[in-house]
Amino acid sequence: MIKIKKSAVLAGILGFTLALSGCGGGGGGTTNTPAAQPSDTPASTPKDDGNKDTTAEKPGLRMIMQYGLFDPKTEYVAKYIQERTGFNVEYELLPAENADEKLNLLVSSKDNYDLVKLNAAQFYNLASAGALEPIDELLESHGNYIKQSIKQESFGSATIDGKIFGIPETGAGVSIGEELVVRQDWMDELGLATPTTADELYNVLKTIKEKKKVIPLTMSKDSLYGDIATTFGILTDWKEVDGKLVHRAEQPEMKEYITFMNKLYKEGLLDTETPINTAQKSIEKFSGGNAAMYKLAWWNAGTTIAALEKNFPDAKTSIIPYLKGKDGKAMVGAKANTTWYVAILKSSKNKEAAMEFLNAKMEPETFKGIALGKEGVHYEVKDEKYYPILPIFNDELSNASSFLTGVDEEKYPIYWQARVRKDPILQAHFEAFQKNAEGIIVVDPMSTAPPIEAVSKNLLKLTTMLDDNVLQFISGAKPIDAYDQFLAQWRAEGGADMVTAANEWFQSTK
Amino acid sequence: MDHKKALEGTNTTRGVIKTSFSEKCFSVFNYTFFIVMGLTTLLPFVNLIAKSLSSEGAVISGKVGLLPIGVQFETYKYVLQDSMFLNSLKVSIFLTIVGTACSLFLTTLTAYPLSKYRLRGRKGLLLIFVFTMLFSGGLIPTYLLMQNLNLVNSFPVLFLPAMVNVYNMLIIKNYFEGLPDELEESAKLDGAGNIRILVSVIVPLSLPVMATIGLFFAVAFWNDYFAAMIYITDPAIKPMQLYLKELLVSSSGDFLKDNVDAAINATPQSIQASSILLATIPILLVYPFLQKYFVKGVLVGSVKG
Repeated sequence: MIKIKKSAVLAGILGFTLALSGCGGGGGGTTNTPAAQPSDTPASTPKDDGNKDTTAEKPGLRMIMQYGLFDPKTEYVAKYIQERTGFNVEYELLPAENADEKLNLLVSSKDNYDLVKLNAAQFYNLASAGALEPIDELLESHGNYIKQSIKQESFGSATIDGKIFGIPETGAGVSIGEELVVRQDWMDELGLATPTTADELYNVLKTIKEKKKVIPLTMSKDSLYGDIATTFGILTDWKEVDGKLVHRAEQPEMKEYITFMNKLYKEGLLDTETPINTAQKSIEKFSGGNAAMYKLAWWNAGTTIAALEKNFPDAKTSIIPYLKGKDGKAMVGAKANTTWYVAILKSSKNKEAAMEFLNAKMEPETFKGIALGKEGVHYEVKDEKYYPILPIFNDELSNASSFLTGVDEEKYPIYWQARVRKDPILQAHFEAFQKNAEGIIVVDPMSTAPPIEAVSKNLLKLTTMLDDNVLQFISGAKPIDAYDQFLAQWRAEGGADMVTAANEWFQSTK
Repeated sequence: MDHKKALEGTNTTRGVIKTSFSEKCFSVFNYTFFIVMGLTTLLPFVNLIAKSLSSEGAVISGKVGLLPIGVQFETYKYVLQDSMFLNSLKVSIFLTIVGTACSLFLTTLTAYPLSKYRLRGRKGLLLIFVFTMLFSGGLIPTYLLMQNLNLVNSFPVLFLPAMVNVYNMLIIKNYFEGLPDELEESAKLDGAGNIRILVSVIVPLSLPVMATIGLFFAVAFWNDYFAAMIYITDPAIKPMQLYLKELLVSSSGDFLKDNVDAAINATPQSIQASSILLATIPILLVYPFLQKYFVKGVLVGSVKG
């Protein structure tokens, strides 16, 4: 009796688990594979160990990287780096969200990491917390290729109290990201000439509004400055005025700019949803034929223009060259900041090996291979320009920039452009933007500044505060008369300290 | 007031007395309200399906509403060939099965003794359990504990710390308390020990609550991304929800700002949509199978004695 009961119960439990697993889609077949998954990792280590034996005395390194949507273990570039440098590196990616918290956890848990790739704020925090190793001597003894590739000024951005705490990675060099793009077919239809100043722009927008009944200019809340702001002299965060650094919040021209934009907003020339528009939303309006003008980023140009042409086969777009200011000259601001810092952790037991590894990656041939892959396989050279071979370039090198630890500052901007040549529309916009900006770029004077406490601590908060307020002034939620009141608050909440500290540094460079 | 009347009306006098005007109004309001509520949850889902089937061009120009435009299946093909997606799907399915089975097993084993009044120190033990519902060690100490146990970046960390859920344990305990003691006594007379009683008498009688709690666990494991976000950095053992979260975050404006390389590689919206959909379907399939237990289980657990 009891035996029968027992088997019935067991059958019941089994049935229940089966019901659950059966519903999981793949059924029993898939159940076994994931079981092997976690143990797959250890299973592959013997292979790595085999490699270690051949590379004899080189120790394994552990590196923390920024987030990316890939598995570093299976990436082509990771294997290539291991092949070329002989170092077996275990990569750890920070999460996409709450990366700073995770980074602090990883570093403070002293879990034997050697290298870490950081953004500017993370770099400053870890360096001032004493978690990073000063690398001056290591650079001297093991860093010949690094010193060849990276300019002295760039090292300035990684220097705190006279010591270098990381290798600065400047990325693709100074380039312009956005420019106004307009529906040329509508301009032609209305007989409008391409505007060259802010006032001409105003007239064009007004005509479009009257005749076409669409949003004349759409703008995203994430990109408030640029083409129109530059005509008032608002370029980047910092500007040199009479030998002093001035933050754009304090520039008297700021008020003129928001007054002008507020006029556009009030008259319905600027998208009334500007305060809530994301880039995605603005692109939706532009490519959907509901807006005539948009400050388009070249990296969005490929999909945006393709969608527009699909929706309206007759649609044509053109790029409006940078508008001229009151003095009749066009200008465009750009930042040349160090994007990433690669540092050696103080808790690392393999500091010398870590530096050797970083140096080996900068050996010119190795570096070219990391940036571009193999000639004839991943890229080809046409007219002295590097072109990607698709789709293998996308498959194997899309994430290559995540693996960079410093770049050859002369050559990388040239190599990097292969990434832009993946799509002809994207390439055309990138090249047109850069051509229009040639000779009129003003680089942010704070670009080469080292981490300064009062700046690092306040910049993000103050930038957000400024942008939020600028949006409120533009949309009329706050009267422009209240700008001085806002500025006083901005200064009180760290703005004044930040400007003073920035100027102290600026005077010291002269 | 209206609500009460309507209830009485439906329970006792349906069909005998004509419904009054106010009752009709209430019904109309009720139906409208719940249809609207239903639509607010259904429509985004339909929109997602439409997006996942539409061409990217139609999606980014905001033309896709409830019906797909420029139908294509390439996105699904792409996602189903994406090794990171498939891998995280496997991890999630495996985690849900193993996690649910282990949790249900342990939670039942905890609940059973605590449902017996003769257990010495029962109140104290219960208090200790309830205490953990209200207070926890905090994130960093917990992380350090996991690290010292060598669990960080390992698969078991996704379900081991969450094996006994006190809330679910209390529901099962209450259910056990509702079973007549006589059953247990008669089993004892037949010579059954504690384990035999639990396995052969109590559990078969508690299938509704088991199914309900099992579903709670399964859905919780399937939807959990926080544990993975904290403990897992190895992409090989990232579960579905974390992968999805990262896919979406890494294509959002904030993430792409000032990061040109990420901007070039951003995931198209139609692929995001099909990933979300493919990740939701497996757990949706579980519901119909457990539905009948689910309704009964919640009801039976709530009425005691």
